[in-house]
Amino acid sequence: MLAQVNPILPSAPVPSMHVLYPSANLPILDSKTQQQQQFAEINWEVAQFEKLRTQTSCNIPQDINSTSNIRYTLPFNGSDGANIYKEAYNKLRNMNAGNYCVADVIFDIENAYFDNRQDKREFTLYIEKAAQFLTDKMNELDYDPESNVAKNLLLFQFFAEPLQLKAAKQKHLPFKYDFDDYMGVKDYSKMFVTKLMATGAGQCHSLPLLYLILAEKIGAEAYLAFSPNHSYIKFPDEKKKWYNIELTNGMFTTPAFILNSGYIKAEALQSQIYMKSLNKRELLSQFYVDLAGGYVHKFGYDDFAKQIIDSALELYPDNINAQMMKATYYNRLFEFVASQLGINPFDKADLQRIKGNPRAVAILAEVNKQYQTIDELGYEKMPFEAYEEWLKSVTDEKNKQENEKFKQQFKGSITRSVRN
Amino acid sequence: MRLLLVSILFFSICVAAQNQAILFDQSYLMLHNMLDNKEPYSFKKAVLSTENAYLDGGLDTIEVNKKLKLLHSVSLILLEYRDIQYAEKDKETIHKFASVFQVMHDSINIKINGTLYRHLPYQYDFSDVFGHDNPENLFVSKLLATRKGNCHSLPYLYKIIAEDLGVEANLALAPNHIYIKHKSLLDGWYNTELTSGIFPVDAWLMASGYMHIDAVTNGVYMKALDKKESIALLMIDLAEYYNHRLPDNDGKFVLQCCDAALSAYPHFAKALILKAETHKKQVDKSEDTAQRDAAYKDLAKEYSLIHALGYRNMPESMYLNWLLSLKEQRTKYENKKL
Repeated sequence: MLAQVNPILPSAPVPSMHVLYPSANLPILDSKTQQQQQFAEINWEVAQFEKLRTQTSCNIPQDINSTSNIRYTLPFNGSDGANIYKEAYNKLRNMNAGNYCVADVIFDIENAYFDNRQDKREFTLYIEKAAQFLTDKMNELDYDPESNVAKNLLLFQFFAEPLQLKAAKQKHLPFKYDFDDYMGVKDYSKMFVTKLMATGAGQCHSLPLLYLILAEKIGAEAYLAFSPNHSYIKFPDEKKKWYNIELTNGMFTTPAFILNSGYIKAEALQSQIYMKSLNKRELLSQFYVDLAGGYVHKFGYDDFAKQIIDSALELYPDNINAQMMKATYYNRLFEFVASQLGINPFDKADLQRIKGNPRAVAILAEVNKQYQTIDELGYEKMPFEAYEEWLKSVTDEKNKQENEKFKQQFKGSITRSVRN
Repeated sequence: MRLLLVSILFFSICVAAQNQAILFDQSYLMLHNMLDNKEPYSFKKAVLSTENAYLDGGLDTIEVNKKLKLLHSVSLILLEYRDIQYAEKDKETIHKFASVFQVMHDSINIKINGTLYRHLPYQYDFSDVFGHDNPENLFVSKLLATRKGNCHSLPYLYKIIAEDLGVEANLALAPNHIYIKHKSLLDGWYNTELTSGIFPVDAWLMASGYMHIDAVTNGVYMKALDKKESIALLMIDLAEYYNHRLPDNDGKFVLQCCDAALSAYPHFAKALILKAETHKKQVDKSEDTAQRDAAYKDLAKEYSLIHALGYRNMPESMYLNWLLSLKEQRTKYENKKL
């Protein structure tokens, strides 16, 4: 009765959309907190859903209780490219979560998106050349090669300032922030390190990752950390005092700056979804999220996407980006099932009709449970306008002064002569 | 004869002090029993017992209860006659939160049998906000009598009215400050700031400049305190009232309060600090230098734990500036969803 439907599911940028259905009066349902803020997105979702519905409407069974042909898993839309993702996924699975090469993992993830057509040699050469430049500059500046602060300061300078090697007359220009499509919505590869290497311009995803790659290469201790819609670098000094680097503007920032985004709730700090320096396991979890992000962008959400996300959550259950993707997965699944049943999930009255279908009810319960998890972690959605405004505020006078203060503070303590 | 007079006088002072100590002991016992579930939890009863202990049994409980009853009635009237625009399933609870807030913050005209009554809001009292001159300035009973309070008495009263309506209001701490946290299905946790009657976002609290991020992570600040943690707050109030009344005490009672508070709320900075300070007082009195030096080392450990939890001392002079910043930068820090 119901023919094979193959809807094109919209792919969402990462972190994914937070979409909610109106709260129905079903016993299992819970209305969710972010609901009201997101009319715009819901409208977008509704439009997507309408598309899906027209595609399937000719096949809607009159009696929704004859559910024998209803599919309760998202269809697979992959091509050969999906197999490449499976290989990349298996490679991650076989990795020692406590000890792996960050550069290799990042390359594999991006290469999967390009159907394995990227040149690894070029990638490696870039890193080696940059590392050599950094080592030479380290000597030239007489920075202490044992000091983590010195290594991180140099890395910071590499990203933020023009650097020249006197002897070799080599010059490196600071990286730029690429405002265009910084969430990679139109072109997902905008977020890639390979794109940053090729163009010298990146965003809050690629810049910190390249930093981590180079830190790994020159033996500097540095970590990735999240804030709403954002990631940045943290590193410790010898006394375990922590510093923040904002690479999109090449500045040292205070925790106050990060908190001033206004979208970090106390509960988010208590559950440590933000501002925590990720250890290797947690970082690997985020790499799974990156892998899933690329996959979903190409092929949409399906069981395999869910499998990648589950692996991310296995390593780091409070990974907010993975939790958000999981929520989107259940959203898509529920919309898919609802569309087959001819139910509009955005219409409260219509939604009541799923009561007759226990499997659909169970999926909706999963959707709600997932949003509850996210709420309990203290997540609050930060609108992109607010994000952009906050990111610009880093160049406010006060933040500039703090940045200078940090730099002065470091410079006095990291040369070899000071130490010896 | 003179000697007799002096000794009678001395004796009577001792008796007075002893009586006072008995009231403090009784209050301590009540709070402790609430922590141990040996006595039913009542924030109202607990607050009034600490105030009564300080007032040497002089709290006019009849008057206080009469006023609280009136507030309860007003909030019930508001519940009945004022509706809120809120469509979620927890509307009943949110409606109660709203009516408590109105009772605290709005002028309300009520007509009963043709007579118009006017209920006036409670105001912030800028004098002696920390109760240094007189701890009574922190009291709920003082707030009820004068309609003026501070970040101690206002949230306490709010919590009492809320609990009388059968809903929970969670106290939360910030440097030198107490405010209210509520949870709604629509917005998750949100803050109610009674000193200005504004609902600020968390960023305002964090921007006080004296809140180390570790203190938030460790629940020293901005944690929605449960019932027992709230009683822990009262334990420390009681200890401080005791110090005020009996400044030359040996520290035993105070330490007992600190330990009870910390068993319910281990990261309670004020209790940790009071404990360390009381230890320090005891050590300072000690004659034995060797023993004293060893004790100082232990003290250093206590203080470094407090530091490690993320606590930083906020100069009291900064406090009012920060409090006012909420009104001055209202657009920046107000929760626009509420």
